[in-house]
Amino acid sequence: MTAVGLGTPRSDADAKVRGLARYGVDYREAGMLHARLLRSPVAAGRITRLDVTKARSYPGVHAVVTADESPKHRNGLILFDTPFFAADTVLYEGEPIAMVVADTPNQARRAVEAIALEIEDWEPVSDVTEALAPGARLLHPDLDSYEILPGAATWPKHGNCGGVLTSDPGGVDEAFQTADVIVEDTLEVPRQYQAYLEPKSATASYDGWRWTIHVSHQFPFQVRSRVAQAMGVTDSRIRVVGHHMGGGFGARLDLGLEQFAAIGASVTGRTVQLVNDRDEDLISTMSRENATIRVRSGVTTDGRIVAREFECLMDGGAYAGDTVYLTSIPMFMVASVYRVGPTRVTAKSVYTNTAPSGAFRGVSGTYICFALERHTDRLAQAIGMDRREFRMRNLFESGDAMLNGQTLDDAYILREAFERVEEVAPWQGVGKGPLKGVGLAAVIWLTNPLAGSATLSIQQDGSLGVSTAATENGSGAVTMGVRQIAAAQFGLDAEQVFVTAPDTDTQGYDAGSQGSRTTHVVGMAVEAAAEQLKPRIFNIASGLLGALPDDLELSGGSVCVRDDPSRSVPLATVARTAFGLGGPLSATGTYNVPLPKWDPDSAEGLLFPVFPVPTYHVHLAEVEVDPDDGSVRVNRYVVAQEVGRMINPDGVYGQIQGGVAQGMGYALWEGLETRDGLYTRRTLESYGLPLAVDVPDVEIIILEHPCEAGPFGAKGAAEPPIVPVAAVIANAVSDATGANITTLPIDPEEVLEALDERREA
Amino acid sequence: MTQELSLEVNGIPARVEVDADEVLLDTLRDRLHLTGTKRGCDEGECGACTVIIGRTPVHSCIFPSLAAAGAQVRTVEGLAGGGGELSDLQRAFVDTAAVQCGFCTPGFLMTLTALLESEASPSDHEVDEAMAGNICRCTGYSAIRAAVRSVVGEGGA
Repeated sequence: MTAVGLGTPRSDADAKVRGLARYGVDYREAGMLHARLLRSPVAAGRITRLDVTKARSYPGVHAVVTADESPKHRNGLILFDTPFFAADTVLYEGEPIAMVVADTPNQARRAVEAIALEIEDWEPVSDVTEALAPGARLLHPDLDSYEILPGAATWPKHGNCGGVLTSDPGGVDEAFQTADVIVEDTLEVPRQYQAYLEPKSATASYDGWRWTIHVSHQFPFQVRSRVAQAMGVTDSRIRVVGHHMGGGFGARLDLGLEQFAAIGASVTGRTVQLVNDRDEDLISTMSRENATIRVRSGVTTDGRIVAREFECLMDGGAYAGDTVYLTSIPMFMVASVYRVGPTRVTAKSVYTNTAPSGAFRGVSGTYICFALERHTDRLAQAIGMDRREFRMRNLFESGDAMLNGQTLDDAYILREAFERVEEVAPWQGVGKGPLKGVGLAAVIWLTNPLAGSATLSIQQDGSLGVSTAATENGSGAVTMGVRQIAAAQFGLDAEQVFVTAPDTDTQGYDAGSQGSRTTHVVGMAVEAAAEQLKPRIFNIASGLLGALPDDLELSGGSVCVRDDPSRSVPLATVARTAFGLGGPLSATGTYNVPLPKWDPDSAEGLLFPVFPVPTYHVHLAEVEVDPDDGSVRVNRYVVAQEVGRMINPDGVYGQIQGGVAQGMGYALWEGLETRDGLYTRRTLESYGLPLAVDVPDVEIIILEHPCEAGPFGAKGAAEPPIVPVAAVIANAVSDATGANITTLPIDPEEVLEALDERREA
Repeated sequence: MTQELSLEVNGIPARVEVDADEVLLDTLRDRLHLTGTKRGCDEGECGACTVIIGRTPVHSCIFPSLAAAGAQVRTVEGLAGGGGELSDLQRAFVDTAAVQCGFCTPGFLMTLTALLESEASPSDHEVDEAMAGNICRCTGYSAIRAAVRSVVGEGGA
């Protein structure tokens, strides 16, 4: 019996249901101080007065830190555009200006209120249109002089554009001339807040040379290098220790509060904890960027897409963060899934006076898919062809290439996914009825590469310890996936394997929980470590059993003779014997995903060049609209997802159900709209997260095509289920009502107007 | 100015000094060191801080500590039996994979424990309605519904 493929409960579930799992916000040290940030109350302006004298004299206050007491250089993920504290200007509401460190949170709060702050308000550059208009105020007049990440390729940037991607392979205009019909759509989406339940926090201490920072973070090694960068010190002076994490969804990949806790600790010499209130978390977190998308395609009357043009303006907010990378994402989506002929792409990351935006599960893909699949429906309708039939006619085949030149050798899986969906929800049989509609969408998504490592130690009791800086963000990738892969390598049950929390001092590098990479990459690192350990185990057992190493196997916590299971020795005995035969049974494995070939000339500004280990996805939804209030009910939701090999069905199903719920929120209720640079929905309640009553049980079809370079064949599974959801639901609502849905969240007023029009017609 | 508060938490009498404007969540977490009850929003919106007072689930982040004087308060730490064995509902959360990040889990457990104490066989819809004050961002709620179903199927919470 192998541990792979079983619905084994996650190893942290017991502690979590008992309330005994310690999260970042639960971490405590004796004598710990509490910090609070003074954040900008306005979207843009010049600081004309910042006087902290009174605050410093307040009871319990140990320090007030401002730009004057902080490193003067700018920092950033790839583009170093971000100051430690705002010094002269503020560029978004919520930007940190100062920090109070005090004995209690309430003392810190009162002292923050005592800081004298005066700002000369500026008219904010509140959206991408304003930002790109001639004569717009530049958020970063010194953009050209900013440093970039050492070793990074340069990319085009200018004015209020932090990054521009352009791909124009030629022949696009000529191809448009062969079209019978040309359709153009412009779509617009707001920001989406990750709304993890545990607000951001950081707790730091300082010993005169090194900082130790306790976090709940998806990427401890990123915290290490980014705090080091912000403080102007070398990486190894920072130690990051991870704790249980109350959700992340991409929001815990870059710095949050860690650099502020760190400077608080070195200024006071005490342990300092900083925790966001929910309201400051909501206004300051790097949410999924809002965007405006224009897509134009030519189609022939016999149902072929022959040419395409795609333009995307991404609102990166006041500092670029990772949106500079995200401008590459259209390259993997705009001319994939369907063959669309010669294609031109422009994507811009634009500065505005809003909070920096950034990674959220399915980065940029959610709205690119929304735009493309709405457009696909419109193309089909323009030539009077069935929407599914149109998709099947243009569907990618194995050997087709994405715009970056990367060939997809297993694209046939797309057709299989469409067919499997058809089996459970026949296209002609769903969404029938006056207020019902059906929608369909497909996507190809990546398994994020980037390096990882794991150390395996066979314990003296025969159990197995896995030590890795990979993080358990809630998905089960570590507590199910990595743990079960490790167990299966040694013939153990998952219950006999424990995994440790991240600690950058003691573990090898890992690139964090992002893009579904953990099970795949760290699983492979586990296999690499196991390959080192197994020969030693068999050699030692060979001596104990008087059998040849090649005749031995691992099973049930023992090493057995393959053809004579009665001859066996417990793994515990082997582990103890090893002490005197070369030392403890411990080994470290590392892995990085080999990158597929791509064409570096396919685009200018292609900072994120490939979609490695692709997976294939088809979603279908049946919706019903309420004729009285225009609300949308999702009656059925079907997902066909290719995962390589499923390590834990409960884990995979949980990611799909949860991803669909987040996508439903994006489609129907959520959205951080801004007015004059300020978010208009500022509490969890007004933000509109999906509740239990809103989300149906998703019908899930798993396709398994084990990949050669994957642990037991596993590819990434957790990120992509969110990607097609808004597209599918919008297509279904359009089908139900006739409304041409081009904005999210879907507006009930628009639904009602469309129903009225249909009634009159 | 602090005041003395006497209450019973998970069957154990407790006497603590609290601020006049303190909320029960802070008393539990910072004075009684019961950090299983979580702070998600401070506004009574997310439900992560749910505890049971008497037989009623309440959002402890907006419940004044002094209003709990003399009350019997139950938190997630009090759900397991005296020997440490999980309650049926806790066991079901583990077995149906109703836990992902787990930050909302204590609140859901308290809300649903109270529901099952007042209604032994709730329908799916009643379960969904009872959970209207609890947000889970990870699971999409399906596995949580399944956990309740499995407990109801066994005939008791």
